[in-house]
Amino acid sequence: MKKISLTHMKPNHKGAVLEIAGCLSLENKLASMGIYKGKDIIKLSHIGLQGPVVIKSGRSIIALGHGIAAKIIIGIE
Amino acid sequence: MKMKIYLIGNPNVGKSVIFSRLTGLQVMSSNYPGTTVEISRGYLKLGNDRIEVVDLPGTYSLESTSPAEEVAVSLLKENPKNDSIVINIIDATNLERNLLLTLQLLESGFRVIICLNMIDDAVHRGVHIDTAKLEEIFHIPVVPTCAITGTGVKVLIARIQEAAFSPRSNLSHEERWQEIGRIIETVQHLEHRHHSLREMVEDASVRPFSGLLIASGVIYSSFKIVRFTGEFIINKITDPFFFNLYQPFLEKLTVSLKEEGFLFHLLIGDLIHGKIDFKQSLGVLTTAPYIEFGMVLPYVISFYFILSLLEDIGYLPRLAILLDNLLHRLGLHGFAVIPLLLGFGCNVPGILATRVLESKRERFIAATLISIGVPCVPLQAMIFGLLGSFSGFYVGGVYLVLFLVVIILGMILNRMLSGYSPEFLMEIPSYRFPPVQMIARKLYFRIKGFLIEAVPVVLIGVAAVNILLYLRLFDFITGIFAPVFSGVLGLPQESMVALLIGFIRKDVAVGMLMPLGLTAKQLFISTTLLAMSFPCVATFIILWKELGFKDMIKSTLLMIFISFMIGAGLNFLMIG
Repeated sequence: MKKISLTHMKPNHKGAVLEIAGCLSLENKLASMGIYKGKDIIKLSHIGLQGPVVIKSGRSIIALGHGIAAKIIIGIE
Repeated sequence: MKMKIYLIGNPNVGKSVIFSRLTGLQVMSSNYPGTTVEISRGYLKLGNDRIEVVDLPGTYSLESTSPAEEVAVSLLKENPKNDSIVINIIDATNLERNLLLTLQLLESGFRVIICLNMIDDAVHRGVHIDTAKLEEIFHIPVVPTCAITGTGVKVLIARIQEAAFSPRSNLSHEERWQEIGRIIETVQHLEHRHHSLREMVEDASVRPFSGLLIASGVIYSSFKIVRFTGEFIINKITDPFFFNLYQPFLEKLTVSLKEEGFLFHLLIGDLIHGKIDFKQSLGVLTTAPYIEFGMVLPYVISFYFILSLLEDIGYLPRLAILLDNLLHRLGLHGFAVIPLLLGFGCNVPGILATRVLESKRERFIAATLISIGVPCVPLQAMIFGLLGSFSGFYVGGVYLVLFLVVIILGMILNRMLSGYSPEFLMEIPSYRFPPVQMIARKLYFRIKGFLIEAVPVVLIGVAAVNILLYLRLFDFITGIFAPVFSGVLGLPQESMVALLIGFIRKDVAVGMLMPLGLTAKQLFISTTLLAMSFPCVATFIILWKELGFKDMIKSTLLMIFISFMIGAGLNFLMIG
């Protein structure tokens, strides 16, 4: 398994959230939206170089700013 | 204490529609998170009692991670738990994520009833939920509803009293998600569906290339439809009314007033070549109604029609993703596109909507940019009406100047202001196709709002101007500033009056420029100045309320300074 940040992940790939390398409040906020350690997600797209990342988590589609996405570490096969 | 009912749920699950159904009050709802910025309170008749119902802003958890969530959580605490009923509204298409809040509500000891909303959409997408089993697990009532059509709302009202306490032990986030996973296993059954066309379009609109293509298509066709519909209403409805039915009546009035005296000047204004000219006469019964109903209202209708459609379909959050990059350079983030777009209708709701932005800095930047560079529909309609007769170059020029000012000012403010701009983090709703009645109701609501706000101000404004002109009170003020005006801006001193009137209403102010016989260049400069310089009185008040006195003054001074500089610059650079 490879560890990679959400921003480096390729679109249309699957992975599981391994770690959220941010403060506790960010971790809580993401957890309340359904992005938590162990959750499987699919990266849908990445707008521009420094732009937001769009993921699918469960049945929701969530857009994350670049800075937040960089802090989410994903494990991929 | 009195009994209260609270509506709580994740953003964009239909709380406001349920609220309207329960209380009969009309509140605005849209297909994107964070529509509810003002807390609505209403009453539900239950037997002989009238119970207060509070519509809380959407929240993902009780831990309040954003200002809107803080408001929701603190309001929930205003009433003792024993006297509160919490209606937890859940989006049935996304049960898993919604249950986190449900668990927290039960853990915190609230008396809860679950309203499983959008059940029709869930079934449509192949999501089947066993409500009986869900009731069994939580020991509280669960009522499936479809708020938009009203299905299930009667049952919800009938069962409100059954709302129950169902204490659970406190869990950590991780334990909660595990628990939810187990619950979902037993109550939810997913039917496998192939990607529908809707899902394919949903997908394409958030990808960089296809997304931009769709966005340009949407923006271009929205603009075309707004123009086409507006012109259609003017040519087929309002102009025939004004010229064929209303004008003969005014001509009779003119004769009976003998074309002279104070009353004639007040009501009819001046005759142009011996005739009433709706655009130039400037009377309370001539130009005032013509500006509002004959020039502005048709575009207000067509603009809000398109905006409401885009809102309810759920396109705007997708536009927000695409523009996030650009808006970051202005110290904002993607979501700011929604207040900016609302500002094109009228600056007031635009500035109100900046409440969804988290930091004070962002709100200051957004509010200032809206009031300086986002022209409202009434102003735009007048710019088209006035400059359109010269050439498209001038109309386009005004937009170009405003756009550049927004970009440059945004970049400067982003560098200069301290504070922080949080990152974009938003759930993107799926596309929904709102029933025609929903769009019609929203349109009616917005147009009514416009008429109530605009018509009295316009009538009183034109009357006041006429009185001041009749008494020659403006001459004194314009005399003082005339040298600056003609020297630096190249405008005749009469246009000064119009700029002052801009404080009352921008459309009336542009209307006052019409009889002056200005050249294209002078019109271009003065409308640009009008668009940018200080906000109209309604915007002024809302800026004060939302930003506080100090920031409102800061923002206003910025506008006056910049518009003056731009006006002088244009006068200097343009030939003609």
